[in-house]
Amino acid sequence: MTHTIVMRAPAIWNPARVDVESTAERTLDQFLKSVERRALRMAELATGNRDEALDLVQDAMFGFARHYAAKPAADWAPLFYRVLDSRLNDWHRRRHVRSRWLAVWTRNDDDEHDEIAQAPDTNDPGPLLRLAGSEAAHALDAALGNLPLRQRQAFLLRVWEGFDVAATASTMRCSEGSVKTHLSRALAALRRALEDHA
Amino acid sequence: MKTDGPDTSRLPDWTERAKSLLDESAQALDAATLSRLNRARQAALAPRRRAAWLFLPAGLAGACALLLAVGVWHGRRALTTTPAQAPVAASANGNAVNAGDLDMIASGDDMEMMQDVDFYAWLDAQDQDNNG
Repeated sequence: MTHTIVMRAPAIWNPARVDVESTAERTLDQFLKSVERRALRMAELATGNRDEALDLVQDAMFGFARHYAAKPAADWAPLFYRVLDSRLNDWHRRRHVRSRWLAVWTRNDDDEHDEIAQAPDTNDPGPLLRLAGSEAAHALDAALGNLPLRQRQAFLLRVWEGFDVAATASTMRCSEGSVKTHLSRALAALRRALEDHA
Repeated sequence: MKTDGPDTSRLPDWTERAKSLLDESAQALDAATLSRLNRARQAALAPRRRAAWLFLPAGLAGACALLLAVGVWHGRRALTTTPAQAPVAASANGNAVNAGDLDMIASGDDMEMMQDVDFYAWLDAQDQDNNG
């Protein structure tokens, strides 16, 4: 009686055998996990409120998963930030309308108009590069918080996310020239604000 | 697309420091905030998971409908073909008369007899009269 020994190849992970649906969902989950913290900080800098920022980020995640999840994964980051940028613009617009109505009701009440809260914090420590970590972070937060929305978005997308001008323009749905203008103004304002804190 | 505007292709050095500070602030989020972010992410993915699970019952229902359709089609086909096959089935059951008919049809002489069946009927009647 002869015995045949069958040599089997070691089990190798085969992408074709993996359930496509669960893989796509896992990839999407990992992508959202990779951007959620920065998205929250971006929204927080825009709103000045963590709860509102969380709502906006969740809304952006819903919108992205619904409309753009089927796009190639390489395009996800600009598309996600485009959705978030759109939500931030909507929030900013609603807030502007609300503040105009509130201004009508409170226009004679100058004492309650908090200009101090809108002004840069002059107690912030000095220039960014010469500050210790937490102080520098605080100064940068304050300076970014005082930038107009479009300038802040241009700065965060170009500097923090590392998008090039074209990708930033696509994300912000504006021309590349507008991105350059917003970024140039943002850089000048930030430098001024951080040096003023010296 | 309009591409003019200030040259911002090279960012100032201090933006690197700003970038690392922003990274640190994102990494320093507290546990409660991270938990809420996690819930937000799961909520955003939930509709996709529900949609994926909906495919299973939909697929089963489709398969059942297909099986039912095939069953009905076969049933109707069997009903329409049975009468035509009945004589064959009967002969296969060993019915002697039908087997004789088939032999008669197969034989050329017997076919001649079938053509003069009236004559043979008359002849049979004559025999019965003679015997009676």
